[in-house]
Amino acid sequence: MEKIMYDIIIIGSGPAGYVASIRAGQMGLRCAIVEKEKIGGMCLNWGCIPSKSMIESVKFYQRIIKDSSRFGIEGIDRKVVTFSWNTAIKRADTIVKRLTGGVEFLLKKNGVEIITGEARIISANSVLVENRLLKTKNIIIATGSTSLPIDNLFENLVIEPKDLFKEREIPENIVITGNAPVAIELAQLFRMMERSVTLVSTADHIMPKADDYIRKYMENKLKKDKIEILYNIGLSSTAGSWNDGVLNLEGKEVKCDLIINASSRKGNLIKSDIEIVIENGFYSVNEDCETSVKGIYAVGDVNGVSQFAHIGSAQGLHVVNLLKGIRQRLDIKKLPMNMYSVPEAAQIGLTEQEAKEEGYDYKISEFPLSANGKAMAEGQAEGFVRLISEKKYGEVLGVQIVAPNATDMINEAAAYMQLESTVYDIAQTVHTHPTVSEVFMEAGFEAVDKAIHK
Amino acid sequence: MRYIFKFPDIGEGLDEGTIVEWHVEKGQSVKMGDPLCTMETDKVVTAIPSPKDGIIAARFGKTGEVIHVGNALVEIDIEGIDGEAAVEEANKVEVVNEEGAGVVGTLEVAGNNFVLSASNEGVQKMDDDVSRRGGKVLATPVARAIAKDLGVKIDLVKGSGPAGRVTKEDIIRFSEDQGSAATTTRSTSDILVVNQTSAPNNPENLVEIENMSQIRKSIAKHMSQSKHNAAHMTLFEEVEISELERIRTKYKEELLKEGVKLTYLAFIVKAVALSLKKFRSEMNFEGGKMIYKKYYNIGIATDTDKGLVVPVIKNADQLSVKEIAQEITHISNKARQGKLTLEDMKGGTFTITSYGSIGGLFAVPVINYPEAAILGVGRISKQPVVKGNELAVGLVLPLSLSVDHRIADGGETARFMNSVLSYISDPVTLLFN
Repeated sequence: MEKIMYDIIIIGSGPAGYVASIRAGQMGLRCAIVEKEKIGGMCLNWGCIPSKSMIESVKFYQRIIKDSSRFGIEGIDRKVVTFSWNTAIKRADTIVKRLTGGVEFLLKKNGVEIITGEARIISANSVLVENRLLKTKNIIIATGSTSLPIDNLFENLVIEPKDLFKEREIPENIVITGNAPVAIELAQLFRMMERSVTLVSTADHIMPKADDYIRKYMENKLKKDKIEILYNIGLSSTAGSWNDGVLNLEGKEVKCDLIINASSRKGNLIKSDIEIVIENGFYSVNEDCETSVKGIYAVGDVNGVSQFAHIGSAQGLHVVNLLKGIRQRLDIKKLPMNMYSVPEAAQIGLTEQEAKEEGYDYKISEFPLSANGKAMAEGQAEGFVRLISEKKYGEVLGVQIVAPNATDMINEAAAYMQLESTVYDIAQTVHTHPTVSEVFMEAGFEAVDKAIHK
Repeated sequence: MRYIFKFPDIGEGLDEGTIVEWHVEKGQSVKMGDPLCTMETDKVVTAIPSPKDGIIAARFGKTGEVIHVGNALVEIDIEGIDGEAAVEEANKVEVVNEEGAGVVGTLEVAGNNFVLSASNEGVQKMDDDVSRRGGKVLATPVARAIAKDLGVKIDLVKGSGPAGRVTKEDIIRFSEDQGSAATTTRSTSDILVVNQTSAPNNPENLVEIENMSQIRKSIAKHMSQSKHNAAHMTLFEEVEISELERIRTKYKEELLKEGVKLTYLAFIVKAVALSLKKFRSEMNFEGGKMIYKKYYNIGIATDTDKGLVVPVIKNADQLSVKEIAQEITHISNKARQGKLTLEDMKGGTFTITSYGSIGGLFAVPVINYPEAAILGVGRISKQPVVKGNELAVGLVLPLSLSVDHRIADGGETARFMNSVLSYISDPVTLLFN
């Protein structure tokens, strides 16, 4: 048996696990991270990073064919310009390698021991990794999540997002199951590659946690993009429903050469000799991310609280700080949500529906990008910023953005929320001109009295 | 570099303490010896001094939380020490002698207070006390708006946000606390009425459950240990103290001008110390051996709000009655203000408990184990006494002496009591010794 007593063993090296490990190392805690596949997990290797690289590639392609002549670039023949998936994948791979290499370096630099293999929890204080019994004071499970499988016997018909970003042929007709941001991003990605795309949602809506207003906006946008959305349909098996390029979805026939399974996800639960309470396929945790077993924590996707990488990281940091005796508040409501659609969408804080339910006397202040000079100059003036504020003190309760760079812009709103700002603060924060971010100030003016440019 | 200061092993068998109050905030700069927090241990409530100059990088534990010896208390960011110097600094065994900070008397800070670099979040140097200097308190805009609305003075609110920033929740909690404080100050008759009408229906109202304070835990442990180990035997006596009263009255006023309260107790302490010396009966009993102590430190059981404490008058045999009176005044004031240090309570060899000042003629006092005896002083009263062959009005002091019968026999106990009585009834003899 090993004589080392770790302070923390972290299982899984995605954004929740690796960030927690680095922090633990920085704080002088003795920490080991166990990874059975690749450092960086789903996000860095197969999810966020490659998908964002690919989305940028097709956005670039689209702008060239759609906008170049309008922007004054001559000599581009739309019939000649084509998009190569495989070349774009190579660029994505380079980025992934650089990032995962960087994470590995940071882990080592901060004295985190990297252990390769599959972990099995033996007790609250011991973890078995390939015949090595590791002793530890605390365990953090950060093993992520996986889509519920679709039963399939046809070759190359169903693919998991994890296997998608590889060199491959992309067929003509694509069906994507799911309604979360990932599904919508993938639908637009393939649509921008001029494929025919059908989005299949098990619910009667898409974007489950979004404000109705953003949701309606995106549903219209997808319709305009000619992406078909089918609601209230679940696809758990291809047997009997798929035949020679046609998928029968509860009576509706859809052309289909490839199904991407981006449907709802379940936690990647790990082998354990002790019972850890599981709820709906995720580890059940308290507000400090502690499971039913004292000293065992679950952070990131695997606890079912959220499936955003940044929330997983925030939870990981929260737990490590806590173990070090530093208690800070982790307010999920103040953590932003983002979607890499075209245009991008992001939100933070309360939705209008929640503000109403919680009984706030609220005000909505909206400012469109179409009235913003920089957005027009960029040729991407689709979208808006929407501010929900409480009337008495002017506290900012929530912000929603649809804009080409909404995922970056939301961070300004996140700072407002973190600092408990009022609409007066937003209105009084001088924004540089011309910028797209000016829409915040305008929405602030609107909340206090009236916007200038509206 | 970062230095982790752990709650030190302060001897006297203490293994934990409760944080009563923090005196430092995260980000505050401290000097060596500055109080970090007030801790309540088994024995005392006292301030824990900082072992270093630096900036508080983190505080571990909230008010009311129990900290075990060896657990981290604060993390101090020490300016200007880095690299090898930092490692050397961290490995030093620190000895901090703090005047008046007896609970920590000598602080031995273990060498494993490792150096590490935690986040700098909120550790910027804060001015000594922003709120009291009339500067701007760090608060969020919403917190300010709500504070203004509710009439809460924002500089009275303790911030829970990063770097001590006052948040919306802090204001709301503060305002609610103020509200509840206001309702609990209703007159007691109000509360009685409430209890009479609602109590029978709600069994929860009939019992109130509180956590034991450290002092109460310690008293409980001590008392049962004493009763369990010592074979208690108690001797009762009465002594006529007209003469003592005459002397006391004569000098009382004069000494009061010097700020010294001349009490009966001062004479009794002296009488006990001299008798102990005379009879070699200052003993205790350990591992089959008789231990005779040649120093006479008399503990004075003192009633305080928080419970019983026993500060000690050291070498009472060598002090004059006046000096003893002075010492009693000093330590009992300290006890009532909760400022006693471990040093004040260490090394007692015999205890006197004067319940009579509150009420009671005789009692069977429980020995302050492992001491061998305790003297109980009852209420003084005017009584008919026989002087010569005449009935006269006398001033009578009842005394109860409990001894550990394993150590002291009846005869020895009675002889010791006789000696105490003779000193007290003829107090001039106290002045000759």
